[in-house]
Amino acid sequence: MAGFGDAFSLVNLAFVLFGVVVGQFVGAVPGIGPVMAMAIAIPFTFGLDPLPAIAFLVGVNKGGLVGGAVPAVLMNTPGTPDAAATALDGYPLAQQGKPLKATKMALFASITGDTFSDIVLITVSAPLAVLALTMGPVEIVALMIFTFSVLTGLMGRSLLKGVISAALGLLFAAIGVDPENSTPRLLFGMWDLYDGLPLVSVAIGMLAISEILRRLSRSKGVVKPAVEIDATGKPEDSRVSFAEYWSCRFTMLRGAAIGTVLGAIPGIGSTAAAFMSYAFAKASSKNPESFGKGNIKGIAAAESANSAVVGANLIPLLTLGIPGSVGAALIISAFMIHGLQPGPLLFQEQGRLVYGLFGAMVLANVINLCVGQLGLRLWVKVVSAPESVIFSSALLLCIVGVSMATGGLFGVGVMLVFAVIGYLMSSFGYSVIIFIIAFFLGPRFEISISQMLALTNSEPPQIVNYPVALALLLLSLLSFIWFWFRNKKAEAELKD
Amino acid sequence: MTGTFFFLFGLAMYFAVIPWQVETGESGHLAPDTIPNAVAITVSLCGMLLMIRTTDQVSRTPANFLRTVFYVAVLAGSHYAMSLFGFMYVSPVLALVLMLMIGERRPVWIIAGAIGMPALIWFFVAQVLERGLP
Repeated sequence: MAGFGDAFSLVNLAFVLFGVVVGQFVGAVPGIGPVMAMAIAIPFTFGLDPLPAIAFLVGVNKGGLVGGAVPAVLMNTPGTPDAAATALDGYPLAQQGKPLKATKMALFASITGDTFSDIVLITVSAPLAVLALTMGPVEIVALMIFTFSVLTGLMGRSLLKGVISAALGLLFAAIGVDPENSTPRLLFGMWDLYDGLPLVSVAIGMLAISEILRRLSRSKGVVKPAVEIDATGKPEDSRVSFAEYWSCRFTMLRGAAIGTVLGAIPGIGSTAAAFMSYAFAKASSKNPESFGKGNIKGIAAAESANSAVVGANLIPLLTLGIPGSVGAALIISAFMIHGLQPGPLLFQEQGRLVYGLFGAMVLANVINLCVGQLGLRLWVKVVSAPESVIFSSALLLCIVGVSMATGGLFGVGVMLVFAVIGYLMSSFGYSVIIFIIAFFLGPRFEISISQMLALTNSEPPQIVNYPVALALLLLSLLSFIWFWFRNKKAEAELKD
Repeated sequence: MTGTFFFLFGLAMYFAVIPWQVETGESGHLAPDTIPNAVAITVSLCGMLLMIRTTDQVSRTPANFLRTVFYVAVLAGSHYAMSLFGFMYVSPVLALVLMLMIGERRPVWIIAGAIGMPALIWFFVAQVLERGLP
């Protein structure tokens, strides 16, 4: 509990507050979003202690989800993909002259969902970590293969492209020194690569810079005009009454449960959770035709689910060291910058920090609510900020941030190379998220295989002596076959 | 198209790049080239399958690609310029060029992006954090 209390120090409070404000601000700007904001912010946390640094990033992530609903509601342009489902009812409600009611419902539902998943995270992660500690290298290899099979199946419509993305991530992770023999691999005479490619450069290049490039390539030299927002001016149209909030309680709880379950599975993501929750809310409604026309339950369903994913995403990260989403992968980079290795051992070695992180998450929810209540009117103005300033500033911040984290311009060069790779991959339908997760897991995967071979005397049939690993490998095979047939069916339906 | 690329990429990695760029090791249970070779074979096989079974692709027009090439060239050039002159001198020019390319013509926003933002970064990084700029 001492760790939990650490989160409530004045310094951490300030960093969580700062993170939430930054997150809500950038979430409200269409085109930036919390993932890019986190990617940019990570190198700047280098000089901080681990807890304030990670608490700040958690604040950015949580604040970004709240801010992302603002452009979805006002412009029908979600600031983040997660908020796309929010726009289905949020935008029509704003068109009826109730933009503040729509954004406030999004805020309350988001906090409710987020708090629900945080409670689940805090209660289940420690027992799960104890269970994970009983796993040996054979089980870890099997678990990673299972993770890859789920990721490649769930992200994108082509299983083959998913496998190639994961394979490329593993290939680039092999650059540097071989972990067993300490012999150099794929250095091409560049001794800066001796320690491998810097994760920060790869992540920021593929996530932030490639996204900026994608947006810039679509710009046609015309600066977008500011958004005009009409409101009725009636007080009841600018707030959410307790009766309205209470009427959505089951919708929000169901959304939070969907988000938590899907968030705990690597690869599914908050967008899928939001749409699934929205579909359930519509299907179970007595008045389904009101959905899509400004029903606040539609907003509550989408926002509670997409926000619940954030906390749940940390379950596989903290218990197994496997990032469930790109946001979690970025939090991993922050852990690594501060010399920490996420996984079950983190609870043993850095228990106080983990509970400090939990405390920061709870704190971030409260601050998110307060800042959201006060700041929504301001974020409404932010949606009309010019993208010329936003993107040029984001690029400069990425350059400085990566240079600080990697100690020079070589890291910036790597970032630019991976920006191009990320741009090309997503242009041709290859998932950069699978790539980054595979890149992160690559060194651990190789070491675990080596340990597994040592344990089994290099005889793979001996794996039958490890029932958990065998079950995971069978599950991987089954999920792979299932995803293969599911994708084939989806392709056939598309052709029809 | 990408199937052909990855089929050839995997083959090139397996037959040329990995033997040339990975030194052999004597000890351990896993040779240094085992994982890279396994990955290269996987990429090549999946590429071959993609050649047979084409999938849907995200559409990008040639104009989009050309614009991207132009932006990448600007970024690469500024990276090189930073190695010669430093971030302090290159960043305002880079921000200005990018803003003009995006279509920004309003003086207030141009000043904010090309002078205000680099100045803010300099103040925050060099003065507050006391870290060196690239």
